[in-house]
Amino acid sequence: MLPSGQKTRDFEQTVLAYSADLYRYAYWLCHDRFLAEDLVQEAFTRAWKSWADLHEIAAVKPWLITILRHEYARTFARKRLPMTEDDVYELEIPAASRVTDDLEMEQCIGHLPLAYREPLLLQVLGGYSCVEIAELLGTSEGAVMTRLTRARQALRKHYPEIEKRRAIL
Amino acid sequence: MNCLDFHREKLADPRRLSVAARSHASECASCLAFAQSVDESEAQIERALATAVPEGLAARVLLQRRNAARPAWRAWALAASIVLSIAVGFNALKTAAPGEDTKYAAYAIEHVVESPESFTTLLNTGPDALNEAIRSVGGKIKEPIGRVRYIKLCPVGKDFGWHIVFETPQGLATLILVPNRQIASAASASESGWSAMVRPARMGYYAVVTASAENTEIIDRQIKTRVEWVAARDEFTGVQVAALSAFAAPFLPSKN
Repeated sequence: MLPSGQKTRDFEQTVLAYSADLYRYAYWLCHDRFLAEDLVQEAFTRAWKSWADLHEIAAVKPWLITILRHEYARTFARKRLPMTEDDVYELEIPAASRVTDDLEMEQCIGHLPLAYREPLLLQVLGGYSCVEIAELLGTSEGAVMTRLTRARQALRKHYPEIEKRRAIL
Repeated sequence: MNCLDFHREKLADPRRLSVAARSHASECASCLAFAQSVDESEAQIERALATAVPEGLAARVLLQRRNAARPAWRAWALAASIVLSIAVGFNALKTAAPGEDTKYAAYAIEHVVESPESFTTLLNTGPDALNEAIRSVGGKIKEPIGRVRYIKLCPVGKDFGWHIVFETPQGLATLILVPNRQIASAASASESGWSAMVRPARMGYYAVVTASAENTEIIDRQIKTRVEWVAARDEFTGVQVAALSAFAAPFLPSKN
């Protein structure tokens, strides 16, 4: 067991190092700045209570992300996030016409279904590989690759439009 | 690998292409162009996802943890220690103990602990802001002190001071410059895993804070050799906190 001072120091450094990443991840999950901060607070509170369960400090970031996902799920009716295998091919990605007015990439990302958005967040914000994302989300590597491909295809449909508008401006 | 496989791999994880995929792109102009286009849209995605993080978020998380960890008896103990500190402080004032300046080192540590965002934020990194901050305590930079990452005017103890974070071979170091507050002598303090050294400057004092006493000593030596205390005291007697704050306004982060 770690000495109390060391434990506190490790925890504080973890908060300093990862609170921004966790906040961005939380924000893009829920689209609410206040809820995102609450989720980060709650995730770190739970992390502190379970700090003894963390066997390796190198694994702290995925561990925190898992805690935050659970908090997010708990916030919404205490059920699992919609990340099951069978619904992935049925999820509808908004057609271009629906977001024609929302040309900014930020809004396009916000329109992605969570099942596509979340692996994208984990890869772009977290820097995780498809295998690591699959472990975090409890799904297969193939499913993660499919979701990431579809997410990027959907965003790329709008990317030329964004560039075109910026060129005009 | 064919073009379809390459497209699939590039879209699934643009930064981790296999050797086969990289080799394919080097021989296929169409896939190379596709890869460049994906990289461009990826940069756009990254920018979009880098949403602003509320200032002081980490500090609030740490504060909540500390408050939750403090049982009732500790609150009473804290109250008792405050009463005791006031009594001891009053006595110290009367006797003007030589070690009184350690409180300024403690203020510096307290401020660093309460400003965790200073280590993760880039703010006012241009040389002008640093020169002005050093000048406000009567100094002039002779040699660069290291790459500056963060400069902000902050409340430090009962005063206002410049909070500066810069890179050194020993890691990130904090320099706090407090104009218009004279201290009698150098003093040091160690708390919460941080070590601080305060020294009198021409027109105020400065503090060096790092995570170890050894590094604080090294950085303190560097500051002494790289900053020249040239300004006569009278040049700055008109500098008051209000004027300092007015000067600082353009450097402060916007409220949105």
